[in-house]
Amino acid sequence: MADTHGHDHHYHPPGLQHQFEDMGQQQESASIGMWMFLVQEIMFFGGLFTVYLVFRSRYPMAFAAASNHLDALWGGLNTLVLIVSSLTMALAVFYAQKGNRNLQVLMIALTMIFGTVFLGVKVVEYTDKYNHGLVPVNGWNKRIKDDGHGSAKEPASKSAPIQDQNKLDPNAQEKTSLNAPNPNKDGHGNPRGEFQISRDDLKLVELARQGNFLTEAEKIGYFSNNEPDIEKFRDKMRIFFWIYFTMTGLHALHMIIGLGIMAWLLWKAWRGTFSAEYYAPVEISGLYWHFVDIVWIFLFPLLYLLGRHFMHGGGGGH
Amino acid sequence: MADNTNKHEHREHEPGHEHEHEHIGIPGYLGVFGILVVGTILTYYVSLIDLDWIFAGANTLVALLIAFTKMTFVVLYFMHVRWMPRLIWLTALAGFFWLAIMFAFTMQDYLTRSIIGR
Repeated sequence: MADTHGHDHHYHPPGLQHQFEDMGQQQESASIGMWMFLVQEIMFFGGLFTVYLVFRSRYPMAFAAASNHLDALWGGLNTLVLIVSSLTMALAVFYAQKGNRNLQVLMIALTMIFGTVFLGVKVVEYTDKYNHGLVPVNGWNKRIKDDGHGSAKEPASKSAPIQDQNKLDPNAQEKTSLNAPNPNKDGHGNPRGEFQISRDDLKLVELARQGNFLTEAEKIGYFSNNEPDIEKFRDKMRIFFWIYFTMTGLHALHMIIGLGIMAWLLWKAWRGTFSAEYYAPVEISGLYWHFVDIVWIFLFPLLYLLGRHFMHGGGGGH
Repeated sequence: MADNTNKHEHREHEPGHEHEHEHIGIPGYLGVFGILVVGTILTYYVSLIDLDWIFAGANTLVALLIAFTKMTFVVLYFMHVRWMPRLIWLTALAGFFWLAIMFAFTMQDYLTRSIIGR
C-alpha cells in the first residue's frame, strides 16, 4: 500500500482515490455505479407498474371509481413539493461544485424539509383512508359504531358467522338488499373496520354499461344476474387500494431512506467535506433523490387522476 | 470511458482544472423547475376534461405524455445526463428498454386472453 502512494511528488487532489486516474474518471465511475443501481430500481418499481397495468386494463372502471376516493389536491400538492425538493437538491449539487459550503448546507436542509412535508401529507392522506374504510384489509380501518339508526348495538356474538349476524340486525337488511354485514357505507357505521365502498361508486359501472365500454373482464367481474353487484365491484376496487398502498408505501420508504442519506450528507457538508474537486456523494445522492421524484411524477397521474373526467367538473372527495 | 482513461493517462494533474462542471446554471435550473410546475398544473386540469370522445383512455395518454416530458427534463438537466458519457446514456436507456419488454410481453398475454376463448 505504501508503495502506491509514492507518487505524491506531483499534485494529487485530496478526494482522489488511488485506483483512479483523475477526478473526472472517479466522478464518472461513481455516476455509472449509481445509474446501475437506479436501473435495478426502475425494474423494482417496474414490476409494480406491471401489476398496475394488468389490473387496470382488466377493471378500468373500478380503478376510476377507487381513484376518485383519493384527493387529487393533496396528490398534486405533494407533486409540487417533490419538484421543489428536486430543485433544491439540484442546487445543492450546484453549490457543492462551486465549493460553497453555506448554500450547500442550506439547500440540503431545504431538501430535507420538503421531503418531510411530503411524508407529512402522506400521513394525512393515509389517515383519511383509514377513517373512511379504504384500507384494503378488513379490520385495519377505523371502527365506527352503527349509530346511524340510533341502535349502536354490537353484534350478538363476535364469533357468529357473517350471514347470521345480518339476520340479527334488521336495519342492515332494510338498508340494503345485499346480505353482507357492511357492503357499503351508506348510512352504516363500520363496526368491524372493514374495507367499504359506497353505492355511488357503482355509478361508473352504469355509465360504462350505457356507453358500452365495459371490458370483457368487467362484464364478468362486476355483475350478478345482469345487475351491478356492489360486493363484486368492491373487490375490484380493493385491488386498486392494494396497489395504491403498496406503491405509495414503497415510494414513501424510498423517501425515508432518502432523508437518511440527506442527513448524512448534511453532516458531511457541514464539516466542509465537499469541494469543487470532490462532490461525488452529493451528486449521486442527488441522482437517487431525483429518481424518487420521477417515480412520483408517474404515480400521481396513474393513481389520483383516473376517474375525474367522469365527474364532469367535480373535484376529488370521498 | 476507456477512451477517456487513455487520453488522460499521463496528464499532469493541475489544481482547479480537473473536471468541467457541466450544468445549466441557476437560471437554467429555475427554468426546468418552471416547466415541471407547469406540467404538474396542466396534468391536474387536463384530468378534469373528458377526452374519451377521442378514444377511450385518451386522458391517461395525455397524462403520461406530460409525465414523460417532465421525466425527460429531470433526467437530462437535474441528473446531468445531457453532459454524461455515452455509457450512462446507454445504462439509462437500457433500464427503460427492459421495462418496455416487461410491459409488452406481459400485456401481449393478458390483452389476448379474452380473444382465445372465442
